[in-house]
Amino acid sequence: MELRLDGISHRYGDVEVLSDIDLTIPEGRIVCIVGPSGCGKSTLLRFLGGLEVPERGAVLQQGPRPADCLNPLTYIFQDFALLPWRSVAGNIRLVLEDSRLPGAEMGRIVDDVLARTRLTDFRDALPKQLSGGMKQRVAIARAMAVNPAVMLMDEPLSALDSQTRELLMDDLVSLWTRAPFTAVYVTHNLAEAVRLGHRIVVLSRRPGAVREIVEIDTPLAERRMGDPALDAQQARLWQLMRDEAAAADAELADV
Amino acid sequence: MSDPDTDRRPAEAAAATGDASAPRPVPYRGGGYRPVHIRGIGIVTFIVLIALVEWGTRTGWISNLTLPRPSDVLATFGDLWTTGMLWTHMAPSLSRLVVGAAMGVSAGIAVGVAIGLFSVVRAGLVPLVAALFPIPKIALLPLFVIWFGIDEGSKYALIALGTFTPTVVSTYGAVDNVDRTLIRMGQSFGLSWVSIVRKIVLPGALPGILSGLRVSLAIGIILLVAAEMLGAQYGIGAYILEAGSLYDLERLFAGVVILSALGVLTSSGIGWVERRLLDWRV
Amino acid sequence: MTTFTRRGAMGLLGGAATLPMLGRPALANTKMTVGALRFTSHAASFVAYERGYFAEAGLDVEFRFFQAAQPMAVAIASGDADYAVTAVSGGLISLAEKGAAKVIGGALSEEPGIDGQKILASNAAFDAGLTSPEMLDGKRFAMTQAGSSFHYMGSKIAAAESAEMQFVPLQKVGAIIGALKSGQVDAWSIVPHIAKALAGGGAVQIIGDVADYIPDYQVTTVFTSADNAANERAQTEAFLSAFARGADDFNAALVDKTAGADAAEDMVRLIHKYVYTDRPYEKAAPSIRNGAMRINAGAALNTGSVQDQLDWFKAEGLVKPSVTMDTLVDASYVDTM
Repeated sequence: MELRLDGISHRYGDVEVLSDIDLTIPEGRIVCIVGPSGCGKSTLLRFLGGLEVPERGAVLQQGPRPADCLNPLTYIFQDFALLPWRSVAGNIRLVLEDSRLPGAEMGRIVDDVLARTRLTDFRDALPKQLSGGMKQRVAIARAMAVNPAVMLMDEPLSALDSQTRELLMDDLVSLWTRAPFTAVYVTHNLAEAVRLGHRIVVLSRRPGAVREIVEIDTPLAERRMGDPALDAQQARLWQLMRDEAAAADAELADV
Repeated sequence: MSDPDTDRRPAEAAAATGDASAPRPVPYRGGGYRPVHIRGIGIVTFIVLIALVEWGTRTGWISNLTLPRPSDVLATFGDLWTTGMLWTHMAPSLSRLVVGAAMGVSAGIAVGVAIGLFSVVRAGLVPLVAALFPIPKIALLPLFVIWFGIDEGSKYALIALGTFTPTVVSTYGAVDNVDRTLIRMGQSFGLSWVSIVRKIVLPGALPGILSGLRVSLAIGIILLVAAEMLGAQYGIGAYILEAGSLYDLERLFAGVVILSALGVLTSSGIGWVERRLLDWRV
Repeated sequence: MTTFTRRGAMGLLGGAATLPMLGRPALANTKMTVGALRFTSHAASFVAYERGYFAEAGLDVEFRFFQAAQPMAVAIASGDADYAVTAVSGGLISLAEKGAAKVIGGALSEEPGIDGQKILASNAAFDAGLTSPEMLDGKRFAMTQAGSSFHYMGSKIAAAESAEMQFVPLQKVGAIIGALKSGQVDAWSIVPHIAKALAGGGAVQIIGDVADYIPDYQVTTVFTSADNAANERAQTEAFLSAFARGADDFNAALVDKTAGADAAEDMVRLIHKYVYTDRPYEKAAPSIRNGAMRINAGAALNTGSVQDQLDWFKAEGLVKPSVTMDTLVDASYVDTM
């Protein structure tokens, strides 16, 4: 399934946050959206999943959804959004309980996603017992349980320390390599963007508009930390964003 | 400069002589401002106070009009126990408290959740609850007698109304404080409204509801005395009122001690429920 | 027959007790606080104040008004009031037992021939057959609190009719009236002016007289702190004599009606300054007249009745069994009957 943003503009009160955005999310690719803070990239992600409605323009989905998909547009949140009173398995089960699947089938899906995210040993642990990286893996497992058409990831690694971030990036890459999924990945971290994005969309500062779209052809599995080609891409992106970020940083907050 | 520790002497001496090159220990400045749990002090405070009153009343330093002798209060309590009157008074009071508080608390939680979930209900009921809250419920007792009869009905109603308003306030506060990202998550996974309320909102509000319950039940116990003002022959409240009108300080204090014990008991009961249900809290 | 002789005797005794006191030199402007309820039964104090009897006795009296008898007893114990008039209640006896209060004289009395306290039935109970005190068995009798005078009256009536009654505490007279009107309780006993006002409005039914069950009932007594009774003899005697003069005026004007219509009218106007002040005189006057019960001449005390009340409180376990008449009463001030 493919997602398309068609002339999206939006304002909060008097503040225009997004202006005339056209964008296509092709099936089976990861599209990273980067931009200075306050450029509206998280707002854009909420439009994509239908959690918010843009003032102008349309969000369109095209093509068939996967056969056993329970929730085509599925988010992964920066702060994990796990229910603290449910165990790891219970948190995953939560999103299946409304689906009218037979109990045994639900159990099978839970076991499967736990195995794929290597969480089987932690199935009965409560969120408070888990590290941040583990929590985000539970959230990823939960997202995979509904077999989404598109994963909408809102700075999923920003709350984690840099070592954990590296480990989770490896996990995401291997998950995608085994079964390619479609994803929109919002981040302000350029290293994440060049490691995970097939296509990187650079937004300008507020009001956010598409400044440039960069395609990276190196297969995900072959991208490594310290790869000179990636570093060059990252440096180029930084050049693009640097002035915008400086200007955005100097703006007075008036909201 | 004092030097309490002989080992430090060279360093202190160095500091005193202003020799900047000599190593000096960094002074510790981080003590205090941290509540530490000390066992037994609470009990000791009680015992000392009671012993003081006992001594005071025995020597006549405290007149028998001012305070009863603690040992006499104990003897009165013993009489209550041996004659079985303790249960004659406890049983109706407990049933009034349980039935009244159950009605008030369950209605309060239902209304509080509704206020938390529906803006229309919030707009309609929050002012009403704010208007009901400060009414001294005792003032309504005669009215309740007309509405619900002089027997158990008016007593249940008084305790129910008394526990209702604080429960509503604490419940909708608790619902308001449920982590919005969890609700957003539930919506993003396409969970039904019922599932979101049942599996996310209610469990998320439970800590706030339970801590509100501590206040509500304490108010329920306070209102027990008021509820038993009208038409109650037996009950801890009626017993205290009777003791007050007879100026029988021993019985008065025995009754008050029973109410205190009831308060401690409900509070620790809620503590136990919290430990059972809220072990997921960090 | 007996009535007449006793009244005559009491008048004589009262006069005899009063006369020598009048000749005494007045105390030098002694300040004191007298506790009172805004009831006709407290009229003796009001008369003594208004007609200057207290002032003549050298007493600078200030009234302190209460809503119920119980707090008044506590105020005496705490020293916030010096003298007061109230029914013999469990609270008063307990305070006497603790050495805080002492009964020093008698005030309101039941007397055959004079309209006294009435036994009331709610309309619902009346319709269901409670037409006389004989039918009180199994009924709900209202009282303010356990150990109040209502409790005592109800118990005595029940004992005389061998009726088993349930006593319902309602704290306040207002609450009792509400409960009686709405049929929540079946019966009650109360001073005549309240009883007649209620029955006149058709809200309740009068089914009997308390005097038939408790003859010579010493309804209220004059009391003070034990300290005053023991150590302030001159002041206490001065108070009692002025109080007795007020009582004599009151009895003559409204109870015996020997002073003539004008005196009665004056008396009602005087009392109206204190009682039913929220009503116009025309409405208040009948209630004040209806409430006129004998206030013992010379503040004489019916010790037999007080003894009977004390025994009842002890038997009910409402007060300590160790209390004796001597702890409760200082009989050295007034004549006893």
